[in-house]
Amino acid sequence: MFTRQLSFSAPIFLAIFLVQEAVISQFRLPGGGFSLLLIFALTWAVLSQPEIAAVIGFASGFLMDLSQSASGPFGQWTLLMLLAGYAISYIGYGDDNVHANTIGIVFFVVTATFLVEIAFLLSGALLGVALGSFSQMVTTLFGMSLWSLLVAPIMLPVFTKLHGLVFDSRSVI
Amino acid sequence: MRNGGRARLLLVVLIVTSLFLITLDLRGVKVIDGFKQGTQTVLSPFQRAGAVVLNPIKDFFSDVSNLGRTDNQIEKLEAENARLKVTLLNRKNADAQLEQLKDILDLAGIAGYKVVNAKVISQGSSQSFSQTLTIDSGSKAGIRKNMTVLSQYGIAGVVKDVYPNSALIQLASDPAFKIGARIAGSQQIGILSGQGNRSATLQLLDNSTTVSVGDVLLARGSSSNRPFVPGVPLGYVSRVDNSAGAIAQSAVVRYYTNFSTLGVVAVVVGRPSSNPGDALVPAKPQVTPIPTVTVTVTPTPSPAD
Repeated sequence: MFTRQLSFSAPIFLAIFLVQEAVISQFRLPGGGFSLLLIFALTWAVLSQPEIAAVIGFASGFLMDLSQSASGPFGQWTLLMLLAGYAISYIGYGDDNVHANTIGIVFFVVTATFLVEIAFLLSGALLGVALGSFSQMVTTLFGMSLWSLLVAPIMLPVFTKLHGLVFDSRSVI
Repeated sequence: MRNGGRARLLLVVLIVTSLFLITLDLRGVKVIDGFKQGTQTVLSPFQRAGAVVLNPIKDFFSDVSNLGRTDNQIEKLEAENARLKVTLLNRKNADAQLEQLKDILDLAGIAGYKVVNAKVISQGSSQSFSQTLTIDSGSKAGIRKNMTVLSQYGIAGVVKDVYPNSALIQLASDPAFKIGARIAGSQQIGILSGQGNRSATLQLLDNSTTVSVGDVLLARGSSSNRPFVPGVPLGYVSRVDNSAGAIAQSAVVRYYTNFSTLGVVAVVVGRPSSNPGDALVPAKPQVTPIPTVTVTVTPTPSPAD
């Protein structure tokens, strides 16, 4: 069951990664833009069991590390997304206030995006990644969160429908 | 209980795998590079197609994001509005790219750089706080790692990774970007570092030298001209930091290149026959004198007088 669900998820993640790299990366949006793969992975993590969310986080982080624009060492996004996926699912799973509520999911996803980016900055600083001026970091941090706040509600019906198809759950909004 | 144990084991295995990947990368294991190279080889045709389809939308976003930055830009945009409408109708993208290409070739021609031109096919994401872009030429066109990349105004960045049909460019605005710079005329030297936007910081190396606002910076050049060829215009000093405790003076520099509007770039693949010196220093904008009119008013005597 677990393997079947993950094998169905793989092409969807690859397609989102392709859209991110071939379409969204074409635009240099103000405030750093957004990562569709990040929003998608975090949305699925909210809707999934913690162990599935951890695997989803691991796979999406691996794809984010494969991106040409990833600046840190390979595996940094994998580790962060794995932990973020597990944590977000652990906190939200089984709580109908989150699952049955669009605002709850969007809130979780946007907050997680913000925290994951902060975690990336902190771990990047520890690993010696050059991160730019403080003002630029703050701009990108808040810019990406605001973009996520804008994009997540628009994409949520699609993401939850896909999740429902793959995991046969009733969490379709 | 059994499920909880399985979940914990899975989590531990995944964390260990992630840490293993980080360690491999930090130790420079080539397998990881192979992963990335393979991904880029697969992605580049999609990015190329995406660039063709999305260029008009991209230009729209670029124009919108640049609106209102400065009064001069607004005035310039208003003045060019009519011309832009016509240009849009006449294949705006092709014209703009041709213009960029012409300016790049002029720049390269003056200095005697041998260049390979390339179109930008992906701008790169900012999720990792890096500034990169991908171009549609790679090792098959003679591009190698650590080559200088030019825009029509000067430095654009440096080749970070090369694939058969594409290459990843680290923009000069990237926080990890560093280049040896010299001030045109005075020949003072320093290190210019990217800051994640169009501004960069200049750290002078000699504590007895000074820098002033408006000074033009050029690339010093590297040994064997890689990664940087000499004489490439970088930017101009926009602010000087005169902190009393600093060992040497530092300054904020504004790059000539607008990194958000790059459509065409050139990679320097051949060294110049000689150092171009200050030949590429951009001409200072000409100030047009505004005619002044003096009006003298003589008061009319009042009837009471």
